Amino acid sequence: MAANYWESSQRRRWQFTREGLEDLRKKLEDEDPNLVQGYPLPQLRHLSIYFNQQVARLGKRLGVRQQAMATAQLYIRRFYTKVEIRRTNPYLVLATAVYLACKMEECPHHIRLVVSEGRTLWPDFFSNDTSKLGECEFFLISEMSSQMIVHHPYRTLTSLQGTFSLTQEESNLAWSIINDHYMTDLPLLFAPHIIALMAILLALVLRPNQTGVQSAGNAAGGLASAAHAALSSAGSLKSSNPDKANGSSRTKVQRLASWLAESNIDIEAIVDCTQEIISFYEVQEQYNEKLTREQINRFVKARSLDK
Amino acid sequence: MAVSPLIVPGSGERGPHSKSKLSAASSGNGTPSTTLGSNSLKDVAEQMNEEEKDKYVKGKKVGEGTYANVYIGHHKSDPSNLVAIKKIKVQQEYKEGMAPDAIRELKHLQELSHPNIISLLSVFSSKDQNLNLVLEYLPLGDLEVLIKDIENIHYGAADIKAWMGMLSRAIWFCHENFVLHRDIKPNNLLIAADGEIKLADFGLARSFADPYRVMTSNVITRWYRPPELLFGAKHYSGAVDIWSVGLVFAELVIRNPYLPGDTEIDQIAKICAGIGTPTEENWAGVSKLPEYTVPSPTTPVHGPEHYLGMFGTAGPDGVDLLMKMLILDPRRRITAREVLEHRWWRGEPRATRNEDLPKKGPGSGLSRLGATESKRPGMVEGVARRLDFGA
Repeated sequence: MAANYWESSQRRRWQFTREGLEDLRKKLEDEDPNLVQGYPLPQLRHLSIYFNQQVARLGKRLGVRQQAMATAQLYIRRFYTKVEIRRTNPYLVLATAVYLACKMEECPHHIRLVVSEGRTLWPDFFSNDTSKLGECEFFLISEMSSQMIVHHPYRTLTSLQGTFSLTQEESNLAWSIINDHYMTDLPLLFAPHIIALMAILLALVLRPNQTGVQSAGNAAGGLASAAHAALSSAGSLKSSNPDKANGSSRTKVQRLASWLAESNIDIEAIVDCTQEIISFYEVQEQYNEKLTREQINRFVKARSLDK
Repeated sequence: MAVSPLIVPGSGERGPHSKSKLSAASSGNGTPSTTLGSNSLKDVAEQMNEEEKDKYVKGKKVGEGTYANVYIGHHKSDPSNLVAIKKIKVQQEYKEGMAPDAIRELKHLQELSHPNIISLLSVFSSKDQNLNLVLEYLPLGDLEVLIKDIENIHYGAADIKAWMGMLSRAIWFCHENFVLHRDIKPNNLLIAADGEIKLADFGLARSFADPYRVMTSNVITRWYRPPELLFGAKHYSGAVDIWSVGLVFAELVIRNPYLPGDTEIDQIAKICAGIGTPTEENWAGVSKLPEYTVPSPTTPVHGPEHYLGMFGTAGPDGVDLLMKMLILDPRRRITAREVLEHRWWRGEPRATRNEDLPKKGPGSGLSRLGATESKRPGMVEGVARRLDFGA
């Protein structure tokens, strides 16, 4: 992290409303309806899951730390608000995003190494020529208006761990919820501290002893209402929570709720955030990797974008 | 802001005209929809970029450096409104990726906005696919020029206090925003038309590392490099910049570099002689640093009388501040915030107002601007201008 979030380009230039974001994307699609119709793609969240998996594969081979992978995913998301995906080779874009993110997070890898790992992972879609990646880097920087510093929710999580007496498990769960939120539009919609608080809230409500977030889909309704109850109790601080305090997690949720009530943090935003991530977990259940890959590969090949 | 004229990364090379990615991409690549699409995308992206580019007129080249050329330019609408345009060279047809200096400078200048830090006004890409940074124009050279021009430039304690005040605020702002500058020296301190000092060249800057993550110790031009870096420390803090600030302070007073080492070994010797030998007694743990070696016999750390003799112009409070900036042990060295709280600023003489500061005549400053922004005099072995994969 660097600089101050409130003054940052992230807040000034890369935080959108839902409508604003939708308009941007619609405008991209409207530029060439034939292209969009000719190459149907899965919904954006499924594409994001696929990109997340591919970034993780590349990151693993390069030994990239989580924060740089998070930065890379946000670069990809920013980039595709400016450029129609069907005009790009997503494999090149995501490798470039990882390469640039590593430079930005001061854990650089040589361009040749990134290219050769990319070639190993996606032999049919990746050229050996480093200048392709270099050129794409230039493209990426330009499209992001050279605003490259990203503020992540991880730091807020780490600094609030003590405040809410999170156990290691709870904090790990919150951490992985933050990892997951890069597959949604949340980082383009909300400030990092809002996301971190959402992750803490969910981690407390979910309780780590459950089977895990992935199974949250079925329980999403109950989960949403539990989270909602906690937050509405934050809204009316005085009214004591009628739920019987049941275990330490419960009281931690209450502590979080009263902490929020005393803070100036936008509780509506946290509610909104919570719903978004829960609906993502539902959508994740329907994710079909094979279909997603085929649809991406189809336009890359058909349009010779890999050349 | 900057929008690339490129269309599809990777699709450009198809045509024979690899120079112009635009025409290559729109000259049909097998799918009927492409031409139309590329054109309309081109229109939007081009347009925005053109608008940005059209605001400025690029003039003559005033400097050439390792990763950038600097041109003087002006606003199209107002020719008297000058800017500096730093054009980043794309390395060998992109083969090596964007130069790390360029990336660092962009990333930090995009976020840091402070009266004592050079401002990035705009970024655009030009036809030949170079990134152009439009920076504020600082016509009056840099502090090094003033320090060296003993013949024509006369200044006193109040002027030094004014310049040091601006430098200290700049570095406080960097540290407050978790940025280490890592290359503070007089010729990176540029002077605006109104006399304001601006910290420039963020090509070595980085964000504070997370605890336990290593950083390269090969930063900061040698004369201004603190002992912990000379001893190879991989974990360090804002204290490295403070040391450099202290040496700029010393240099302003004596109008000569205080510790001009010829080599790294000589630099350590100069520190030992000029300040004192770093030992376990004055700096617990120093002997464990990877490259710790000091000449014997050791010199005890100089007391105030030494500094008063040499830097007396700054007054006893000024000397106190200087000594605190040059404390060998980085953990005990004064912080940027404490610098600003020091009593020297409140005492007499008061800092000179900007408009009354000694200035070099305009015109002669032009060539300096370019030189400062790209060339690096006094740098023989070079600092980490390349990616350091070990750190």
